[in-house]
Amino acid sequence: MRFFDKQNKVIPEGRVEAVDKVTGGGKYAAEYKVDNLCYGILVDSTIPSGSIKNIDLTKAQQVKGVVGFVTHLQKPNVPGFATEDLIKQSRFGLPIFHTDKIYFKGQPIALVIAETLEDATYAATLIEVEYNTASFQVDFDAVHHNIPLQEAGRERGQIDSWRNAPYVIEEEYNIKSEVHNPMEMHATIAEWTGERHLKLYDKTQGVNNVQQVIAPLFNLEKENLEVVSEFVGGGFGSGLRVWPHVLATVMAAKQVSRPVKLMLTRPQMFTGTGYRPASWQKIKLGADASGKFLGIHHQAKNETSLYERFSDQITRVTRLIYNFDNLKTEDALVPLNLSAATWMRGPGDCTGDFAIECAIDELSYKLKMDPVDLRSKNIAATHHPENKLPWSSNYLLECISIGAKHIGWDNRSPMPNSMKDGDWQIGYGMAVGMWNAGRNKTSAAIKMLADGRIIVQTAMTDIGTGTGTGMKNIAHETTGIPQDKITVELGNSSLPPAPSQGGSTGMSSVSGAIVEASNALKLKLAEYAALINIDFRNLSPDAILLSGKGISRKENPNETVTYADLWEQNKLDNVVVEATSGPGEERKKYAFCSSAAHFCQVRVNVKTGKVKIEKLVCIADGGKIVNEKAAANQMSGAAVGGIGMALMEEKLIDAKIGGLIGDDLAGYHFPVNADAPMIDVHFIGKPDPYINPTGAKGLGEVGIIGTAAAIANAIYHATGKRLRNLPITPDTIVG
Amino acid sequence: MIRVKINPIMAKNEKLSRRFFLKTTGVLTLLAAIPASLKSAYKQVKDFIVIQKKTAPLTISVNKKAYTLDSDTRTTLLDLLRENLALTGTKKGCDHGQCGACTVHVDGERVLSCLTLSAMVSGKEVTTIEGIANDGQLHPMQEAFIVCDGFQCGYCTPGQIMSAIACIKEGHANSVTEIKEHMSGNLCRCGAYNGIVESIQKVATS
Amino acid sequence: MKPFNLIKTKDPKDAVSQKKEQVQYIAGGTNLVDLMKKNIQLPDTLLDITDALSRQVDNQGRAIQIGAMTRNATVATNVMILRDFPLIAKAVLAGASPQIRNMASTAGNLLQRTRCPYFYDVTTACNKRKPGSGCSAYDGHNRMSAVVGYSADCVAVHPSDLCVGLVALNAKVHITGKDQKESVIPFQEFHRLPGNTPHLDNNLPEHALITSIEVPENLFGKNCAYLKIRDRDSYAFALVSVAAALHLDGDRIIEARLASGGVAHKPWRWLQAEQFLKGKRATASTFGEAAKLVVKDLKPLTHNGFKIDMLRGAVETALGQCLLD
Repeated sequence: MRFFDKQNKVIPEGRVEAVDKVTGGGKYAAEYKVDNLCYGILVDSTIPSGSIKNIDLTKAQQVKGVVGFVTHLQKPNVPGFATEDLIKQSRFGLPIFHTDKIYFKGQPIALVIAETLEDATYAATLIEVEYNTASFQVDFDAVHHNIPLQEAGRERGQIDSWRNAPYVIEEEYNIKSEVHNPMEMHATIAEWTGERHLKLYDKTQGVNNVQQVIAPLFNLEKENLEVVSEFVGGGFGSGLRVWPHVLATVMAAKQVSRPVKLMLTRPQMFTGTGYRPASWQKIKLGADASGKFLGIHHQAKNETSLYERFSDQITRVTRLIYNFDNLKTEDALVPLNLSAATWMRGPGDCTGDFAIECAIDELSYKLKMDPVDLRSKNIAATHHPENKLPWSSNYLLECISIGAKHIGWDNRSPMPNSMKDGDWQIGYGMAVGMWNAGRNKTSAAIKMLADGRIIVQTAMTDIGTGTGTGMKNIAHETTGIPQDKITVELGNSSLPPAPSQGGSTGMSSVSGAIVEASNALKLKLAEYAALINIDFRNLSPDAILLSGKGISRKENPNETVTYADLWEQNKLDNVVVEATSGPGEERKKYAFCSSAAHFCQVRVNVKTGKVKIEKLVCIADGGKIVNEKAAANQMSGAAVGGIGMALMEEKLIDAKIGGLIGDDLAGYHFPVNADAPMIDVHFIGKPDPYINPTGAKGLGEVGIIGTAAAIANAIYHATGKRLRNLPITPDTIVG
Repeated sequence: MIRVKINPIMAKNEKLSRRFFLKTTGVLTLLAAIPASLKSAYKQVKDFIVIQKKTAPLTISVNKKAYTLDSDTRTTLLDLLRENLALTGTKKGCDHGQCGACTVHVDGERVLSCLTLSAMVSGKEVTTIEGIANDGQLHPMQEAFIVCDGFQCGYCTPGQIMSAIACIKEGHANSVTEIKEHMSGNLCRCGAYNGIVESIQKVATS
Repeated sequence: MKPFNLIKTKDPKDAVSQKKEQVQYIAGGTNLVDLMKKNIQLPDTLLDITDALSRQVDNQGRAIQIGAMTRNATVATNVMILRDFPLIAKAVLAGASPQIRNMASTAGNLLQRTRCPYFYDVTTACNKRKPGSGCSAYDGHNRMSAVVGYSADCVAVHPSDLCVGLVALNAKVHITGKDQKESVIPFQEFHRLPGNTPHLDNNLPEHALITSIEVPENLFGKNCAYLKIRDRDSYAFALVSVAAALHLDGDRIIEARLASGGVAHKPWRWLQAEQFLKGKRATASTFGEAAKLVVKDLKPLTHNGFKIDMLRGAVETALGQCLLD
């Protein structure tokens, strides 16, 4: 448990878990040593629609290392799935092993358990399945036209009032489905430690979420289900849900009465853990001659599975960034024979923002107005345009002006297709992004040991965002206890409860809890100190100073009661405080957002279609930056994700076969090192006054919201070719 | 669309293949994932006999420690390290040579352990991320990754570091462009490429 | 993966004598192990030949002999190759990743299978993988597929970059047959077109072993280029690639070589364009004309029509780059 606890003084300064990560010592879900472990492999449906007629295990059974199977015909009891009604109530999604129905190609229909990974994998290929096949539809582009739109949120003003606006852009935008593909493939080890006790090592973004989903399915007391997720090899949203393979592993462990480890294969990562759904959008945007926006009509559709409806809420961002007196948003879901979609980094907003920011760019050329000026003119800088609450803080205009300087926007000639270097055409583009800055109720504990060391704890996971390091920094800043006396524990459901790490809420949520716990520690220690020195009675946290040695008062910092004395006089063991912190009244008075401006310089070779991103600048307002290095890393990483979205990422679906092809990391491209320039990141860095005690607003999403539009806009400026569909692969440039 | 000339035999085959596609209703029996070549081999044997695992003796040095064991011939170096030798620092990111997370050094050169059959490295010297620190003192590249924050989730990091050490040794760390090209066999989905490049520059210039 | 025996051999003659049905040679394993994991190749026995054949580049006068087991990385850094055959090094470096180039052998590079996604997916029809099952790519996702020399039975392309360089330089493939006799196959005749037997990638006689690749003396050491257009900047297979080499006298082209990857079932030579370039002045307009000749007979499929423009641009650019050296 004490895994972030390296005290070697030759180690350079970095993240709390840095040594574990650079030495290979950190344990990801599939890497725990569990006695008597066996291996599970899922077998997938090879058809997209129909039902299972028969599953023949006879050949697979002959593999000597095989220990058992799970199918819909042979499975352990899952009380929470006992009836159709219970399955529905569970809202689990795919009722794995509890149906003979096939909803999509790649649906897990059997699980083989064997002594070795090799034998499990081999035996899985020997299972023979007979199907009743049925008709299917997987082609989003072919069918979305048939699905009617429905109003998405309240209409603002009147669409008719700007029908004859002097400047109108009306265009359609299509974005292919993207897949999270974190580097670590999802994995689970399930170990029944008793009849009613279960331990899961699981790749997830939220251990409490796994606990809440799995425990009721097996009628377990929540505290009897321990979920461990200390190191998480990336998420980007894929770990925000509990996917069928997790339940499958728990069932398998029950079936064979042994711990079972299951790691999805890379192709299974394309159908088993969600994806950003393919989308169609139509934007109608009107402005007057001065560039003031008169209105917007935003329509959007996204694909979804047949067994659950997932809306990506693509038009949400339309209500966030700009002042539109007239606004109408509509959306629709397009159910297909595909696996379930889910949130992926900058969910919905990333998609919607691409269309809006491209349309605005297009409008700027029509108006012969600088895209920077057009945006600056219309940004809702002071108040949330929908609920009219004042922003707690919003520095988007500053982001834009700083970004323009960093990219050298002045070097840009206003006309498209006007900057050339041989066969290369050079272009500049920009876009902005914004995200509702959220905060969730979170608990944290601090345990102080006799020698003055503290352990800061929360159940929240650190998926690479730097949560652990942020926790340490905040505890240090709030208590005054030196960094080298602080260790961090997280990613375990037995620690104080926390929400999932996602939606840029992690730091915003946990930071408040750490501040509260730090203050609680101060008060608790002052209480003990008061028994030695009466001056410590009734102090506020601000008036209390902690150090490596002991406690003192701000008034008189030289007068210290040492921890040794505190412990001795009060006969203390460990001092443990726990605090919970969440949003409150401030949410009624203010609106909260993080924002970013993205600027891009590209070179486009019109002969070969090659697009080279020369510069990418990302200026963000994320409130207080708790850890500059990790925050910059997260922003530049999100920008790399944006490059992928803009130029290469596409889940390929064969409409005739009814499923995915090229579902691996050779067929699905995301950026390699050479695809990204050294990305220039800069923060406004001003703490938000109201969001939480630290003023940190969260950054994970705004780093990617707007990047793809900035790139597409730069390509237009370079070539004069307006490309409204993503990804913009080389063929779309030459074609 | 223009098609090349098809001879009559091919046209016949083509018709067969069309029928394959049109068969979308009714009962369809498929071996889960076995291609015809194997199926036909099975058909020739009346009573289907499942081939059982074969083992081969293996002597291997990992991080200067010698191991002698009987290994399933199918076991890749990656699975040997992770599942049999408890050296889980080497990561499985795709298992098909498409991501670089499993990069280790064999006889001093960076290779992909997921496409290496363990039985074929018998007698060779394997170095993994667990073997580059010296007596508890981190390798300069490990230190550089910490200082330059060359990772986020950390899952691709062992592969990146093993690759980065080789990148410098091979003489491919002379510019950002060169480093980026010669580190492109190591995917990072967090996109920590800024820090990875800076880490390598730091070590290459020190 | 299906269980198999692994036998190591140190002698090429022994290797050939042990080779039979269901026995497969293995060298670098970068393609074969992957195919075995995917249940596409299912040998009963693997013959490890890594110690049976040369892993060096030897010079024979002004020609070179690349041992069958020579690693791609060795080819890319060999001083003779860099001096006299730089096109080969450039082609090798455009392919795969440093790790794979450290593993993959020269002979294995010739024998790698297509990367057509349907070939790799055993749940789909593919005549190359399962003869008679049909070609899913022909009217499926064929963006990466062939634009020349394909048949209705198969539109797959050969994935190698090295082979594009080798075919441009008139390399020869040295083999030892099942009868232990040595023979030579001109590189251009080594790989096949799919026709109605797409399951056969090449003309290597059954059970024969590639022992080395010979590259004859050439005069393209100075002006050559390898240009690969792909969906990302590195570590991706080609949409199209071009190997271009010029032997110049001043600005006069004495001889030219042009070949492409990503366009056909085999590394493809543009002989007509080469002929056209002969004797012409090395100018942008000459290169433009040559590029037009390259694309004039292409027959794209439903989703790869872009390859005409892209290839034309790539040929022009690659020829232009020959002058930069």
